[in-house]
Amino acid sequence: MAEQETDADAAGQRLLRRSAQRMRRRIERRPRLFVYLAIFGPGVITASAGNDAGGIATFASVGADHGYQLLWVLIPLTFSLGVVQEMCARMGAVTGKGLADLIRERFGVRWTALVMLALLVANGGVTVSEFVGIAAAMELFGIARYISVPIAAIAIWWLIVKGSYQRVERVFLAMSLVFLGYVVAALLAHPPWATVAVELVHPHFELAPAYLFTFVAVIGTTISPYMQVFIQSSVVEKGVRPESYRLTRIDVWVGTIFAILIVFFIVISTAATLHVRGEHVDSAAEAAHALRPLAGAYAETLFAIGLLGASMLAAGVLPLATAYSISEAFGFEKGVSSSFREAPIFLGIFTFLVALGALIAMMPGLPLIRVLLVTQVINGVLLPIVLFAVLRLVNDRELMGEYVNGPVYNLATWATAIIVSALSLLMIATSVFPNLFAK
Amino acid sequence: MLYLSQVLGRPILDLEGERVATLKDVIVRLGEDDHPPVAGFVARYRRRDFFLPRWRITDFGEAGVRLNSDILDLRPFVRRDGEVLLARDVLDKQLIDVDGKRVVRVNDVQLIEAANEWRVTGADVSLIGLWRRLAPAFLRSGRPVEVIDWADVGYLATDAATVQLKSSRGKLARLHPVEIARLAESLSYQHGAEIVEALDDETAAETLEEMAAERQAQILGDMDEERAADILEHMSPDEAADVLGDLPVEKAEDLLNRMEDEEQSEVAELLPYADDTAGGLMTTEFVAVPRDLTVGDALARLREMAETPNMIYYLYVVENEVSEKLVGVIALRSLILSDPSSPLEIVMRSDLQVAHPDDAAADVAQKIAEYNLLALPVVDEAGEILGIVTVDDAIEILLPKDWRQRLPKLIG
Repeated sequence: MAEQETDADAAGQRLLRRSAQRMRRRIERRPRLFVYLAIFGPGVITASAGNDAGGIATFASVGADHGYQLLWVLIPLTFSLGVVQEMCARMGAVTGKGLADLIRERFGVRWTALVMLALLVANGGVTVSEFVGIAAAMELFGIARYISVPIAAIAIWWLIVKGSYQRVERVFLAMSLVFLGYVVAALLAHPPWATVAVELVHPHFELAPAYLFTFVAVIGTTISPYMQVFIQSSVVEKGVRPESYRLTRIDVWVGTIFAILIVFFIVISTAATLHVRGEHVDSAAEAAHALRPLAGAYAETLFAIGLLGASMLAAGVLPLATAYSISEAFGFEKGVSSSFREAPIFLGIFTFLVALGALIAMMPGLPLIRVLLVTQVINGVLLPIVLFAVLRLVNDRELMGEYVNGPVYNLATWATAIIVSALSLLMIATSVFPNLFAK
Repeated sequence: MLYLSQVLGRPILDLEGERVATLKDVIVRLGEDDHPPVAGFVARYRRRDFFLPRWRITDFGEAGVRLNSDILDLRPFVRRDGEVLLARDVLDKQLIDVDGKRVVRVNDVQLIEAANEWRVTGADVSLIGLWRRLAPAFLRSGRPVEVIDWADVGYLATDAATVQLKSSRGKLARLHPVEIARLAESLSYQHGAEIVEALDDETAAETLEEMAAERQAQILGDMDEERAADILEHMSPDEAADVLGDLPVEKAEDLLNRMEDEEQSEVAELLPYADDTAGGLMTTEFVAVPRDLTVGDALARLREMAETPNMIYYLYVVENEVSEKLVGVIALRSLILSDPSSPLEIVMRSDLQVAHPDDAAADVAQKIAEYNLLALPVVDEAGEILGIVTVDDAIEILLPKDWRQRLPKLIG
């Protein structure tokens, strides 16, 4: 009898609990950090994320300063980007863990500290570039950066900590689609397609500091360290398994090719409009001029909208993703809904990066476009550290089993890592000793 | 007291104090002990690993390890069942702290000597533990650290997990299924699945019910088929049917065939219905009583039921023992308050709300909310009761789509 009563009691409790559980499950089905990426496919979105303030500035400068000369880089770059992104996506699918997790578990504390430091510096640089992008965009609207940047920083911080960032995120994403206008602008500018075709397959290399600088910036902005972390997390978040990985691989390559195509058109449109007139990209207004064939007098407005959207989007996501990676690697409490007391380091890193980005972007007399390029160069210089870590992990048979790299992938990644390292060293050497390679 | 980081890489010395090898790892044997004893060491000599049993050692400390004889047994190291390597399997890995109900990352492992035996006492998860491994010795702090008692370590997220499943089961069972599900979901999918497998069938079923639908299907799909079927039997039929619906058809059929007859037929009845209909929402667990009973008989029948359904607040009155034709409903409340000798027919309400299997889920949920019901019976064309839709399923549908956006949420 008593037993029956407890049984009935338990049954009632189960019903209540399931009721609560349904409610909870419904509420918890909130979009997580990378889920909005997952709708499009992690590969496509992560690759497109490269077209942020730093990316636009870099490629606009490439087109304006070097014309079509650097177009040939895009083909090897497609392979490098695709291979690197694919490896990280594969690691996510096979291990179910993020890149920071794996680095900590396989390499121990010291190497983790080094890689995380590199990531912090690289992402810090990119965050700075995003706030610079916000400043540049708002200046096109005639609003001084001393007003726009602090407001944007506080707004981003508030939106993320209060958890409503995702609602505005889509607006930013839509705004940044303006950059697709470069494709149209490039076609309308009637570039010399024969020259374009030749330059695309005709390697051209100089040891001049300016050339090396641009070269490293191009690599750094295309294969940014944060993109590897992003893609792996989004694959894990999406719950991709090795059995269903094939689709993700396709997604990664489609995304890579799509992203490089956009870059291709940005370079062409700036080369066809700015380079032919000998103009350089020293300000956002000049970068906007390349959109004139499309928008005429509205080119600046259009450009400002795109730049603002792309910069606001990344200025929130990057500091957050950095804080997550570092907390994940070192096991700090994390989550934006935690209080400062619960997750001091997580929120500290996030806040620090937002504040740093905003403060640097507000420095008086800062050459905005130059800063954008420098941050991409930092990315390029630090990229090899992340690449070597990825290479070691992806070839770890205990971790990856049959999914370790094949020889072609290893060769391509080693080549990328070594070439980027060499270029970075060369660039540093030539900027310290400008006459090093002078004849 | 020692920390693992203080002994790793230290020399292994022979009787004369000569270095003969390097300490690579510390082996413990997980078992009944809350604080498992050190069983031996892995020694590294000329890029090969050797096993060093505990009894071959006299001293063990920051200065290194001292052997008790000059004879070094060069048996290559092979991991045995039930053994955990502290550096390889624990250090830098994640574990579940049952006491704090959270997943933490191990920065260091604490060892304490008691009664001439070294034991693992805790996992250091503090910043100071991190600093101890990063900083040069003279900068290290002697401050006390935040250590998780090894007795509270519920699960080690390591690749050598099979060794610990038995010891995990008891500790994880101290947590509520909701908490287990949350912890399992914050680990990688392999480790999440391992945790579910470590639980007993009942808890595993409850834990799975708390997880996202795709994850339930993935975990059960990857599991040993017999075990998966056992767990499915313990899930409520509507949940089980939902999971099976998410699995590939052959897999679902295989699992269904392995289930016990009774549970199998309950789940199988639910499978044909589309998710967004009354049939897809309903469960087959409900109480039905024939109309010719008295209130007392009905109560007695309720007590005698071998397995009480979750939903006992409504008793559905049917035509007779063979026919399931629904004629009325009695709330448990009125049943208890009525005179035991009065016939059910007098106490029951016959003007009851029903749904049909093909009714839209949203309409069903709406009806439940409108009439303030705890459950709504689903009947076929002949008026026979097929199942009931309970309020918990209705809640899920009724919550506004943008509800989640009004709540503070976690990104990531």
